[in-house]
Amino acid sequence: MASTTFSSAERAAQDRRTRRKEAKRNAWAYVFVSPFYLLYAVFGLFPLMYGIWLSFHQWDGISPMQWVGVSNYVKLFTVDETWWKAIYNTLWLFFGATTPQLIFALILAFIINSGYVRFKDFFRAAYFMPFVASAVAVGILFTSLFGMQYGMFNFALSAVGISPLLTAGDKCVAWAIETNSLGCAIDWLGSALWLKPSIALVVLWQWTGYSMIIFLAGLQSINPELYEAARVDGANTTDIFFRITMPLMQGVILFQVVTSIIGAMQNFDIPVMLAGGTQSSAPGGTDQAGLTAMMQLYWSAFKYNTGSKSGFGYASAMSFILFFMIVIFSYTYNRFNGQNQTEN
Amino acid sequence: MASNDKALSRRRFLRFAAAGLGVAGAAGVLAACGGAAAPAEDAAAPAEGNKAVVELTFWWWDAAGQIWADEYNKLNRGAKVTFVNTPFADSHDKLLTSFASGSGAPDIASLEIGRVGGFTAKGGLLDLKAAPFDGGKYEADMVKYKWTQGSTADGRLVAMPWDIGPAGVWYRTDIMEKLGLPTEPEAVQELISHTKGKTWEDFFTLAQQVKEKSGGKTKLVADAATDVYGGALRQGGEGYFDGMKVMIEEKATRPAQLAADFRKQELDANIGWWGADWAAGVKNDAFAGMVIACWMQGGLSRDQAQLNGKWRIVPAPEASYNWGGSFCAIPEQCKNQEMAWDFVQWACCSAEGQNAMFKPTGVFPAYKPAWADPLYDEPVEFFGGQRAFRMWADIADNVASIVRSPYDLQADDIVNAEVTKVMKEGKDPVQAMKDAEAAALKAIEGATP
Repeated sequence: MASTTFSSAERAAQDRRTRRKEAKRNAWAYVFVSPFYLLYAVFGLFPLMYGIWLSFHQWDGISPMQWVGVSNYVKLFTVDETWWKAIYNTLWLFFGATTPQLIFALILAFIINSGYVRFKDFFRAAYFMPFVASAVAVGILFTSLFGMQYGMFNFALSAVGISPLLTAGDKCVAWAIETNSLGCAIDWLGSALWLKPSIALVVLWQWTGYSMIIFLAGLQSINPELYEAARVDGANTTDIFFRITMPLMQGVILFQVVTSIIGAMQNFDIPVMLAGGTQSSAPGGTDQAGLTAMMQLYWSAFKYNTGSKSGFGYASAMSFILFFMIVIFSYTYNRFNGQNQTEN
Repeated sequence: MASNDKALSRRRFLRFAAAGLGVAGAAGVLAACGGAAAPAEDAAAPAEGNKAVVELTFWWWDAAGQIWADEYNKLNRGAKVTFVNTPFADSHDKLLTSFASGSGAPDIASLEIGRVGGFTAKGGLLDLKAAPFDGGKYEADMVKYKWTQGSTADGRLVAMPWDIGPAGVWYRTDIMEKLGLPTEPEAVQELISHTKGKTWEDFFTLAQQVKEKSGGKTKLVADAATDVYGGALRQGGEGYFDGMKVMIEEKATRPAQLAADFRKQELDANIGWWGADWAAGVKNDAFAGMVIACWMQGGLSRDQAQLNGKWRIVPAPEASYNWGGSFCAIPEQCKNQEMAWDFVQWACCSAEGQNAMFKPTGVFPAYKPAWADPLYDEPVEFFGGQRAFRMWADIADNVASIVRSPYDLQADDIVNAEVTKVMKEGKDPVQAMKDAEAAALKAIEGATP
């Protein structure tokens, strides 16, 4: 841009002329791309607008809608403790699962990209594999692994004799002493203490590989000559990572963080599988420790649709609160991170 | 990758926004995507013989629905029924969505007991007692409480009783024998069944014996929250509402106390129901029995086939009760109401239809005349030759009645959350049910203490 010799007014007028000509010439191209925009309007834009409209109503889906103004938002902000508990859980999972996931992924990507590793393809595929599995299958697998009495994790822990140690702080230990039993198993999905870490573990397991692949793609676009030059200048691996890799990766990291914030705020399938409630337990598990915002939203809309502090309108209001939280977090991160690399 | 990620989140958003929030046009298309399109305009078209054949869609959440479709279609009654298997997790949501959007509902819908209250209260379904229907005539033939559950507060019948879940105590003869306890149903009834005047205290006594004789390795049941609380609560009739009156404290306190005591004395195996741990528990003889409804037979006979023939049932302590069951309903959107009604009558209100389903699946009819079939007096192989079907029928005939509420599901979750605290964190059951009552009053506008 800076090197141009044309005056900008001249350039703009020329652009406008050619653009009109181009549009005429490419009329068919527009026809060919239109399906996406039409579908987007029907399935993306319209529901979005309709959702805003709905959030000012009370609606069970069957009886006529009732205009309630901002009362859904007022209820959510003032009296709905469950909703804020769900938000807290969601944020906990963001910091407890998504943040370490990104850090691990970046480190793994750096290691795999470093040239010290043989069988790169194997590791790449192995780490990516969990991402391919459907959340439902993963959920079923982990519910079985997390089983208190017959789960693999507890079996492995008791085999090396560290089960009682890990349950310290849990009421479990008191119970074990009282009843004179040989320590007790961790109730991974049953105790309020362990439920969130268990969910975090599964999220971490499933998503690290995906983030790693994206980071790896970013790393591979960095010119290796930069590394060589740095080595010649006497830089060690730590210097290279923080002074070359990290700055050049900023755009990729930004993309990853923003999509991860969006994903984490909408965390739904794994928590539902692990703590979705059964005929004899409520969604979210003990003390609603595993209830995420998206779960509460879904239950409000579809399961509790007849209530006045739930229903489609109320759930729409929830979704817009989530939407604004995502915007705020993404913007804050972007701001915090200085310049926006994605503009170049 | 980038666009893939966006597509994922957009799709997820769609599921909740477009599908859920009811976009008339969009939902129609979505329903079509789900393979559940309403029959096309040519519904009244091809004539077969001299009868016009209409097409009907029937939704249920079990593959066994095909049995009804096949049997009914064989009869050439003037309609062809297409069965659509709508998974249980979203079957009711899908129906709700079709009501919200004004299109896409089936001609015959199925409703489960936990969800029926929401639909009886809010509409969208036709009154099967009003013209052109004459459903009122079946009232005397249906199990009483079931009829009440399918009716609205103002007396309309919007959900035709289909199947019920008479429940009792199940036990395994192999374990009982090993422990030197009685194995014959007559003898076990003497120990715990209400028909012999026994109460939950006697159930505790048996549980104690199982625990002692096995050296603590085997317990009587898996999880007091389901086996004890689930049973004791339902003996007062399923549900926590009487109109708008919240009955949680009144109905659930004693069941919660019983379950808490049971757990405190370590009489249950502390293995949660419905999961892999439970299935492993069965294989490891961790518990000798369970307190559950008849529909458990279907899954057990498939998943734990090695135990077929070893199960027996006896009536529960204190009272008979019901757990679960379903209804058939005709949505207002149905275009061929007369033929849909014909199907519902054949399926739910005739011995032929009900038993066509019962025989292969164990889905127990709410239609009492169906029980007259000799089939019900036959020894059942799964129950080791016990005449179990007759016992279920006797249990079903003696269950307390209650009207369902639109807030059932929400109340269930509120109470279950507290029950979990009692079981997992040792919370005082009396206080827990007080808190549950308070939470329900707070969450549900218009609820009265």
